Amino acid sequence: MIDQTSNSINKLEELKQEFDELDVRDRLEMLLDFSDDLPDLPDRYRSRREAGENRVHECQTPVYMWVEVIDGRVEIYADVPRDSPTVRGFISLLIDALFGATPADVLTVKPTLLGDLGLVEALGMVRMRGLHAILDRIKSEVQRATGEAV
Amino acid sequence: MSTTSTESELLVSTDWVDEHRNDDNVRIVESDEDLLLYQQGHIREAVRIDWQTDLQDQTIRDYLSKDRFAELCASKGISNDTTVVFHGDKNNWWACYAFWAFKLYGHEKCLIMDGGRRRWELDGREFVRDPEPDYPRGTYAAKDPDLSIRAFRDEVLQHQAAGKSMIDVRSPGEYTGELLHMEDYPQEGALRAGHIPGAASVPWSRAVNDDGTFKSEAELEQIYLNEAGLKRDGDTIIAYCRIGERSSHTWFVLKYLLGFNNVKNYDGSWTEWGNLVGVPIEKNV
Repeated sequence: MIDQTSNSINKLEELKQEFDELDVRDRLEMLLDFSDDLPDLPDRYRSRREAGENRVHECQTPVYMWVEVIDGRVEIYADVPRDSPTVRGFISLLIDALFGATPADVLTVKPTLLGDLGLVEALGMVRMRGLHAILDRIKSEVQRATGEAV
Repeated sequence: MSTTSTESELLVSTDWVDEHRNDDNVRIVESDEDLLLYQQGHIREAVRIDWQTDLQDQTIRDYLSKDRFAELCASKGISNDTTVVFHGDKNNWWACYAFWAFKLYGHEKCLIMDGGRRRWELDGREFVRDPEPDYPRGTYAAKDPDLSIRAFRDEVLQHQAAGKSMIDVRSPGEYTGELLHMEDYPQEGALRAGHIPGAASVPWSRAVNDDGTFKSEAELEQIYLNEAGLKRDGDTIIAYCRIGERSSHTWFVLKYLLGFNNVKNYDGSWTEWGNLVGVPIEKNV
């Protein structure tokens, strides 16, 4: 049986290494690829999205996100407009790495992730807090769902 | 066919840009809130200038130095006599910011493509994902900054104390101070909410139509002269918002669309004023 526990952490580490090897332009290109690949919000969340539920208010872009823990695994779904590729890209990257992770693994994701991915350099510091808020929201939702302490 | 909704030599239509996009002495510049938008799709001949990573000093809170500005222009194939056409997302906020920065360093020929990216998209015109064009290097001699368009903290303090004209272009909630937590822009937070006492409230978005184009001169006069009581030949007007991007937009409107003589952008804006110890603040007016 595949040890899912370390998969997400490994994935993040791999991403960090990949990004580290790229210059700024190519990091942005990768982020854009992630943006293109962001899965659509599943239909079951559509009406709630339209009702304005689950907005990540801290982000200036209208981001709607659902974080569930099902059978002990984290699932993340999001809706982000196409004209906000930076935010789409970051959420898509997080979903790629963390979908199916254990709550414990999600809670160990370091707040320095954006810096570790070299995105602070690529995007500039002022853009960081909205993105940080998304990572924080995922962690706090996982915490809430499982009642676990950080 | 799209035409500009207001007459100004400095506003050009998407038609104009389409016609002149390959002119040797024209450079289309895109400046967006989202850095990746350009890569996702841009006007073929456009280069990107990012307000944060290209126009800002990365160590101190300030615009880039004169030398770096010259280098930036040269690297984008911009020379002193190049006509630079700015456009971008968010109703040309960041295009106006870049326009202002270019005017700070005295670049003569600056234009804004009315309606920005949205207008281009609504027209059904093409965006490409090509890499940024690599133009032959420009020759650029930068001038010293023109501070007649820029207001600093101490000047604003004196201006306020003397009861002179100011315009706050943020949303009503930010102006009144009811938004203690900056809902939409947390990275631009301040420890106190409200406005600079005496500043008139004219949210920047009143200057534009739904498609991002600027309103007509008559409509703008109604808003800024009649309602807000600003005077074309009165004392200096200082415009501010949170970090100086929306106020660049309003600065452009006042100076270039309405012909105001003396308008300054206070780029420190609320992120400075709302965090400054001891400065006067007003709420709920």
